[in-house]
Amino acid sequence: MSAPLDSAAKVATGADGDAPLLTATGVTRFYGERIGCEDVSFDLWPGEVLGIVGESGSGKSTLLRCLAGLDRPTSGRIGFRDGSRVTPDIFALDEQRRRALMRTAWGIVHQNPRDGLRMGVSAGGNIGERLIDRGDRHYGNIRVAAVDWLQRVEIDPARIDDRPTQFSGGMQQRLQIARVLVSEPKLVYMDEPTGGLDVSVQARLLDLLRALVRDLGLAAIIVTHDLAVARLLTDRLMVMRRGRVVEEGLTDQVLDDPQHPYTQLLTASVLAA
Amino acid sequence: MTTMIAVDGVGKTFVLHNQSGIRLNVLAGASLSVEAGEAVVLSGPSGAGKSTLLRILYGNYRPTSGQVLVRHEGHLVDLVGAAPRAVLEIRRRTLGWVSQFLRVIPRISALDLVRDPLLARGIGESEATRRARDMLARMNLPESLWTLPPQTFSGGEQQRVNIARSLVDPAPVLLLDEPTASLDAANRDVVVELVEAARARGSAIVGIFHDEAVRSRVATRMVDVTSFSPRIGSAP
Repeated sequence: MSAPLDSAAKVATGADGDAPLLTATGVTRFYGERIGCEDVSFDLWPGEVLGIVGESGSGKSTLLRCLAGLDRPTSGRIGFRDGSRVTPDIFALDEQRRRALMRTAWGIVHQNPRDGLRMGVSAGGNIGERLIDRGDRHYGNIRVAAVDWLQRVEIDPARIDDRPTQFSGGMQQRLQIARVLVSEPKLVYMDEPTGGLDVSVQARLLDLLRALVRDLGLAAIIVTHDLAVARLLTDRLMVMRRGRVVEEGLTDQVLDDPQHPYTQLLTASVLAA
Repeated sequence: MTTMIAVDGVGKTFVLHNQSGIRLNVLAGASLSVEAGEAVVLSGPSGAGKSTLLRILYGNYRPTSGQVLVRHEGHLVDLVGAAPRAVLEIRRRTLGWVSQFLRVIPRISALDLVRDPLLARGIGESEATRRARDMLARMNLPESLWTLPPQTFSGGEQQRVNIARSLVDPAPVLLLDEPTASLDAANRDVVVELVEAARARGSAIVGIFHDEAVRSRVATRMVDVTSFSPRIGSAP
C-alpha cells in the first residue's frame, strides 16, 4: 500500500478543528459498598449525540447524574469546555460556580416531567424562569421567547398561562424540553425522555427531539433502555452493565454487530431496533 | 487511476456468545481494490459473505483483522478503528449506502428526504429542491405523494424514495445492497441508468445484485467472494 495514509483522527478534526465539549475521566460513584458506576471515560464532541444503554440498575442513570453535576463522583473527573473557557473538573468548582455552569451550559430533561418542571407555575413561567436565571430581565422579550418555544414544541401558545398540571404527560414532557432548550445550552442530558409515555406520543416526541438536536447543533447524552430510541436519536452508544461500560462505538455498529456477550443478549432480546 | 477503496487482509469472525460461543468464520484475507469509475459486483452463493464485506466497507461491521482504506477528501483513511465521528464524517461526504429498505423517519415528506443529502453537502435550497423533484419524477413517484411522509406509502414506493435519496447526489463511493430487488422492470432500468451515470461521473461502486441481467449491465468487474472464504484452504 503505497498511498499516503492519514489517521482517522485527523479527518475528524479537519473541518471544525475543535476540542471535546465534555471529557469524563475514570468517573466512579459508589453508594457505600455498592457500585453505581465505575471507571467510565469518554469524550463528547460538539454536536454529538451519545446514547447510554443497559438494563435497569446498570449504572446509566448514576453516570448521568454525575456528568450533569447532580451527584459528586467518588473519584474521577468531569471536564467541560465552553468555547475557550475550560473547566478541568466541574466538581472542583465551588457549589455556586458549579450551579451557575449548570444553569447556562447544559440542561437536563428528566424522565418524569414533574422533576424538571415547577408544577405550580404557568407554562410561560416555566420557560421564562430559565431566562431570568440567565440574567434576562425584559418581560416582553421573555414572553416572546416563551411563545416561540411553546410553538416549537407544538403546544398551543394560547395555553401559556395554564399550569403543567392541566397538561397531558406528553405535553408536560414537551414543556420540560422547551424549558431546557430556551436558554440555548450546548449540551442536554436526557434520562429516558420517552419513558412513561404512550407509543404514539413517544414517536412524536422522538421526532421533535431529533429535529431540535439537528437544527440547534446540540450535543446530547441520552440514557435509555429502548434500543429503537437509541437507533433513532444517537450517533454513538455506550453499553453499560453492572456499572461498567462493556462496549462502545457507532450506534449502528454496536446494534448490528454487537461484540460483547451482554450487548448480544440486549440486541437479541428486542423485536426490531 | 485513483484508488477509492483498498481492502487488505480483512477477516471477519462472528462469535455468538449466547449460543455456546459458536464462532462463524465468514471472511479471511479478503483483499479488494476499487478505482474511481469502476463498478465491482460481488458474487458468490448465499452465505458466502457478500453482505458482510459490503457492511465492513461502510463501517457498519467491524472486521476482526485487516484494514479498509477509503479515499476521503483526497486521502486514504482506515475505517477500522476510526473514531465514531470520523466514520460519520466519511459517510456524510464519501460513502453512500443504497439498499432496498427505507428507514422511515416520521413526519418528513418524501421531497425533504430526497433534498436532505443535498442540503447536508451545502447545495442551495432552490437547487436542492429542483434536483430532488427531478429525481422523484425520474423514479416515477406520483407528484401527489411528494409532500407526504412515506410512512403510508407502499413498499415499492418507499424503495423508490430511498433510491432517489441515495442517488440524487451520488457519493464518491457507492455501496449498493440489492437496490433493485422487487422493483418492476421500468424502475429497475432507471436505477441501472442512474448507477451507470454515477460511475461515468467517477464514483467507485461496489454492489450486490441477485438479478443476473442487472449484474452484467452494472458490473465492470465481478469479484467472487468465495475466494475470501476461510472454509477453503485454511481451517477456522
